[in-house]
Amino acid sequence: MQRHGDAASRVRRRSGVLATVILHADLDAFYASIAQRDDPRLRGQPVIVAGSSRRAVVLTASYEARKSGVHSAMPLFMARERCPQAIVVPPDFARYRAVHESVFAVFKAHARAVEGLSLDEAFLDLDDVTVPAAVLVGRRIKDEVRREAGITVSVGIATGKMVAKIASDDGKPDGLVAVAPGTEASYLAPKPVRRLWGIGPKTEARLRAQGIERIGDLASLPDERLVALFGAWGVELRNLALGIDPRPVVEEWETRSISTEETFEHDVTGKARLGDVLASQAREVAQRLRSQGLLAQTVGVKVKLANRSVRGRQTSFVEAVDDAPTIERAAWYCLERIVLDKPVRLLGVRATNLRAGDRRQTEFFDALGT
Amino acid sequence: MKFTCNAKDMASAVTSASRVVNTHTTVPILANVLLDAKAGRVRVRATDLELTLENSLAAEIHEEGQCTLPARQFSGYLANLPPAPLHVQGTNNRATVKCERSNYEFFTLPPAEFPPLPEGQSGVQFRVEAKAFRDAANAVTFAASNEEARGAVLMGTLLELAGSTLTVVATDGYRLARYRVPLPEPVREPLKLIVPARGLGEVVRTAGEGQIEATVIGGQANQLVFHTGDAKISARLVDGTYPNYQQVIPTDFDKKVVASTQKLLGCLRRAGIVADNRASMVKLALDGASLVITASSDTTGNAYEELDVERTGDPLTIAFNSKFLIEILNHIESETVTLEFAAALRPAAIRPTDPAAAERQLYILMPLRQ
Repeated sequence: MQRHGDAASRVRRRSGVLATVILHADLDAFYASIAQRDDPRLRGQPVIVAGSSRRAVVLTASYEARKSGVHSAMPLFMARERCPQAIVVPPDFARYRAVHESVFAVFKAHARAVEGLSLDEAFLDLDDVTVPAAVLVGRRIKDEVRREAGITVSVGIATGKMVAKIASDDGKPDGLVAVAPGTEASYLAPKPVRRLWGIGPKTEARLRAQGIERIGDLASLPDERLVALFGAWGVELRNLALGIDPRPVVEEWETRSISTEETFEHDVTGKARLGDVLASQAREVAQRLRSQGLLAQTVGVKVKLANRSVRGRQTSFVEAVDDAPTIERAAWYCLERIVLDKPVRLLGVRATNLRAGDRRQTEFFDALGT
Repeated sequence: MKFTCNAKDMASAVTSASRVVNTHTTVPILANVLLDAKAGRVRVRATDLELTLENSLAAEIHEEGQCTLPARQFSGYLANLPPAPLHVQGTNNRATVKCERSNYEFFTLPPAEFPPLPEGQSGVQFRVEAKAFRDAANAVTFAASNEEARGAVLMGTLLELAGSTLTVVATDGYRLARYRVPLPEPVREPLKLIVPARGLGEVVRTAGEGQIEATVIGGQANQLVFHTGDAKISARLVDGTYPNYQQVIPTDFDKKVVASTQKLLGCLRRAGIVADNRASMVKLALDGASLVITASSDTTGNAYEELDVERTGDPLTIAFNSKFLIEILNHIESETVTLEFAAALRPAAIRPTDPAAAERQLYILMPLRQ
């Protein structure tokens, strides 16, 4: 793990004229944009990228589809009800991977450090520059991404990660929003509290019950109320509400596990019906392992039942793996050994005991025809 | 039930039967051993439903009958007794055990709850010399898979009967072990059976001198029962088709090395210490009249070993998991070993140089990508 900028130098920078500027870059409707880029007939049309199973969910919707209320993670059948004219295309992870690499190469050329959050999203540490200089860098990145990859990226620029991410969201699609140093609190103040990191629907409801709806309301609370409401976390939350966010851009988090899970819109009964979800999750985990050059020694399955109880099972390999068929077989093995006496609410596949490297051991498994 | 026997005889019968007892079982009766006193003998039986072990010992029977005792506690008690007469009296829920001045009462479970011996039509029978079978099982079972997710078939060992030969095979997809044993009497029909590798392990542990008689119990039971001396081992046969292992044994080797088994083992054991613990990779370079073995790791250092060998064919560098190679060489039944290769990413064959041993024993190992 590599960290950039220790705490002392960060404090020094904050008190000086120059501050570390962070840029958040987020590709617009990534999977759908790739589909539209490669097939002119899809341009200007509502496009939904989703799997083919009956219980598939929307992976990405183009902005045309979003106008009809379609959003990612929505079950496909519901998306079709909302937007019957939408064109559904299957995902093509190999292609996304290639675009991801060319786009991240652009990011790396302009930043001191790049922290990838997913295939289509990253924080860039632009080092000690003024915000106007950072805006120029942001424009160059947008131009180069359009030229290299043929898609658009939204950019947010600020002194901290959270504000940069909120700014890039505000500019979507194809935007560039910069928040000048010292104006973070006033930029955040009118926004709903839900947009702060760490505030989910439950906390939001609690805050609303206290009459706190806007980030500005939260920022102006006295310490004792914050502590009464949230305990020690309260002060941290207020700092976020003021736009104080000293977390550095971390080039590479040490990945301890790779997992994916899906909550079903309707609870699912019976293992057979979970099969294609499990298969696609195994493929996704394998894809992400390979994209990070990792191998997994252990694969596990997690199931949440209708009564919210969580069950799991895992199994280990002699040789660490990264291929979809093996991970799928292991996931099936685990699923078959979990007692499902209630309908299933959530299903997930997880790879742990990760190590870097390529799979070196060859096998005659395929030759054996098993 | 009431009998008198020697405490040491009972201790060894209970201890060896108890090996199969799973102390974490959720079925209480499976944590017990069954004692069955009848016609001058006491039979001691334990099972985990996949494997059933039964030993018998001579006893003076005062009252025929059955009783089940907790395996772990009973064998622990017996192990600490002197070789003196042991008096056992049991009912459905109590057993009293006396030896010299020690007098114990164990709580028991009704023998009627103990799983009955698998019943079914006795099918094919074959006989094999105990020593030869032990050698075969020892030389092969280590290559069976212990990855649950690979399925029960590869976790099993194939017993292939044809004519006057029993061929024992195991593979985990990375290596394959094959060992041929002559049958004293030929079988009428060819037959393939997949036995859980740990079942064969029990046969190896139990079989003394003389012959082992094996009987297939068909139908629902689907067991292979080994009789050896006073012991009986029943293993549930694995359903499924064993991969066509002959397919992975290449016939086009054009490079050959003959080396001292012990010297090669020494080189590999030393180099294996340095080998990167990721895939324990050692490289074998075949050139001139020597075999050069190298290994390296970022953390430990570099290894170089040179060994005089007899060699034919073109030069080649090939990499293996040192642990796999060492395990195979540990089982080679000859002072010199022959290694044959086709190419760097093709399977290699390893067998004793001694022609009689080579007829019995063969290993195929898949290389590592370099």
